[in-house]
Amino acid sequence: MYIELRDINKSYGDFKASDNVNFGIEKGKLVALLGPSGSGKTTILRMIAGLEHPDSGDIIIDGQRVNDIPASKRGIGFVFQSYALFRYMTVFDNIAFGLQVKKADKKAVQERVTELIKLIGLEGFENRYPSQLSGGQRQRVAFARALAPNPQVLLLDEPFAAIDAKVRQELRRWLKEMIRKLGVTSIFVTHDQDEALDVADEIIVTNSGRIEQTGSPLEIYRAPATAFTSSFFGQTSELEDYTRFKFFDRVDNYDKAFVRPEFIKMTKKDEIQKYKNSAAEGIVEDIAFRGNYIEYTVNSNGSTFIAHRALDEEKVEVGEKVDVFIYRLFITVGNEVRLLKNGSIREEMVVI
Amino acid sequence: MNAVSKTKKSLFADTSVSKAPVMSREGSVSIHEETTGSKAVKYLLIGISVLFLFVMLVLPLITVITEAFKKGFGEYFKAISDPDTASAVTLTLKATVIAVLFNTVFGVFAAWAVTKFRFKGKKILVTLIDLPVTVSPIIAGLIYVLTFGRQSTIYPFLEEHGLEVVYAVPGIILATVFVTFPFISREIIPVLEAQGTDEEEAAAMMGADGFTIFRRITFPHIKWALLYGIVLCSARAMGEFGAVSVLSGHLRGKTVTLPLHVEILFGDNKFMPAFAVSSILVLLAVMILIIRSIVEYIGKDRG
Ligand SMILES: Nc1ncnc2c1ncn2[C@@H]1O[C@H](COP(=O)(O)OP(=O)(O)OP(=O)(O)O)[C@@H](O)[C@H]1O
Ligand SMILES: [Mg+2]
Repeated sequence: MYIELRDINKSYGDFKASDNVNFGIEKGKLVALLGPSGSGKTTILRMIAGLEHPDSGDIIIDGQRVNDIPASKRGIGFVFQSYALFRYMTVFDNIAFGLQVKKADKKAVQERVTELIKLIGLEGFENRYPSQLSGGQRQRVAFARALAPNPQVLLLDEPFAAIDAKVRQELRRWLKEMIRKLGVTSIFVTHDQDEALDVADEIIVTNSGRIEQTGSPLEIYRAPATAFTSSFFGQTSELEDYTRFKFFDRVDNYDKAFVRPEFIKMTKKDEIQKYKNSAAEGIVEDIAFRGNYIEYTVNSNGSTFIAHRALDEEKVEVGEKVDVFIYRLFITVGNEVRLLKNGSIREEMVVI
Repeated sequence: MNAVSKTKKSLFADTSVSKAPVMSREGSVSIHEETTGSKAVKYLLIGISVLFLFVMLVLPLITVITEAFKKGFGEYFKAISDPDTASAVTLTLKATVIAVLFNTVFGVFAAWAVTKFRFKGKKILVTLIDLPVTVSPIIAGLIYVLTFGRQSTIYPFLEEHGLEVVYAVPGIILATVFVTFPFISREIIPVLEAQGTDEEEAAAMMGADGFTIFRRITFPHIKWALLYGIVLCSARAMGEFGAVSVLSGHLRGKTVTLPLHVEILFGDNKFMPAFAVSSILVLLAVMILIIRSIVEYIGKDRG
């Protein structure tokens, strides 16, 4: 492990911002810290950076305990949530700052900054001030500035939060590519699950100061390990009483049951579907057009949940009766999650 | 950039104001005619203001100048070239320069500490900084007399080391420093507060030391506010009367500042010389006003 946090605790007054935080990150990986607002993501990032000190626990970078090393000596690049560009310096001086502080010679600074400006595609903007740049351009300057002194670790706090949706997608692809190319171990904070799933090699899920789960995007999405993660990922809907849907194993004293749209097949009454006989009847309550699919809010067996249908499938009207078949669902017992599969699928497999 | 700009909205708002002036004093805001009703009201208000300013400010100033030159230039120059006057000018300038120097250093440190660090007792410190504004200068003077005068427990110590404070120049300087204490820090604190700590943290992450951070990151933000504070501090230091009067002992040619000198002359019924010396203070005040306007103008322009 290149970066390791061991039993980190941090309180602000009575408030526990980090509660026994443990995780490790391999060298060269791009890791997302994902969790709801106020779950302690920024706190973790700031402690790794040295801008905040843990009350207890060890922070280890490259085999060395860095708790007592000041932020300025840790050699970490940091991109702030608000960018924190130096307002009274030009783009060039912003990027050059970290090198000038290290007393690099003028020619080397010039070369490195020029190279970075080219990398972020802002040639010709060298003499502009941050206030004369767009949000996306500022973000890229902040990125270049953090990278200028060749840090071994790059930390990014919600790097895309202040950028509108379209540019955001482009920018995160760009960032991912850059980080790959440079091979710098990076952690970025986000509360957008799509962003984390899209960009990260690994996701660390935080919730109220604790680490809920760590794993690859696929692992976490497919097999959520805690009650929180199972409800956090995907477009989950909670089922009122899942036992009303047939062919699912009964689990006594379960707490909650969740379904995602991809767990559900919704068909019109006259459509043919393999599991028609095992489907439950539902009624469409709302329709939303989402671009490449249509989102239906369906009520069935006393539960309201979301189902998707492709654009080329026949349209269903509000108030129309439909068949819903649930392939699988998550149930939580305490903090545990179980994936339940629809029994009718199993039976058929046996028959075949 | 703004420290609290976590949300989209405030960050975008930042773009429009990011070159906003650092000066805390804004120019006069003109109210649109429609909002105040008729033109008559407008002119009435302006008229009252002008009249008030004339009676309260312009008239006395004219009086000072005319009285000063009443007996002609010759007498005027005789009055202001008097050795006591010369010594008063020197002492005033000396006290002013020292007070400005001290308060610049102190003001910047205090403002920096209060805005960039978290520590216990911060609120108390902020209140203490403002104390000299709320305490009457006479009281301040008396406190120093009690602290450093003959009745004080530390007096024997001071005497042993030949340190005279009360009825001596150090006392005058002390009083001036005390009275002008908050002027600089109070100008800088709001600017630093609005700026937040992000930029400093970013600079620290890149390995910059405290001094470099101050010089290259913080200073550009407070430059104009600092200059403005210095101007205000100088003006206040030159005109200080109350606290200085208590601590001075009125030893002519030794512990008399310009305002005290004016008072003494006035008390001796030497009206013309009193006005002549006053005109020096007026001149200094006008100079400061001009500098102030220039600073404000440039500061606004550069942000
Ligand atoms: N300096 C501080 N003093 C007191 N409480 C703080 C401080 N900094 C953070 N907190 C609290 O700690 C908790 C975690 O904050 P943190 O900034 O780490 O959250 P976050 O996960 O980054 O949230 P967001 O997504 O909104 O940025 C919050 O409840 C916050 O109120
Ligand atoms: Mg945060």
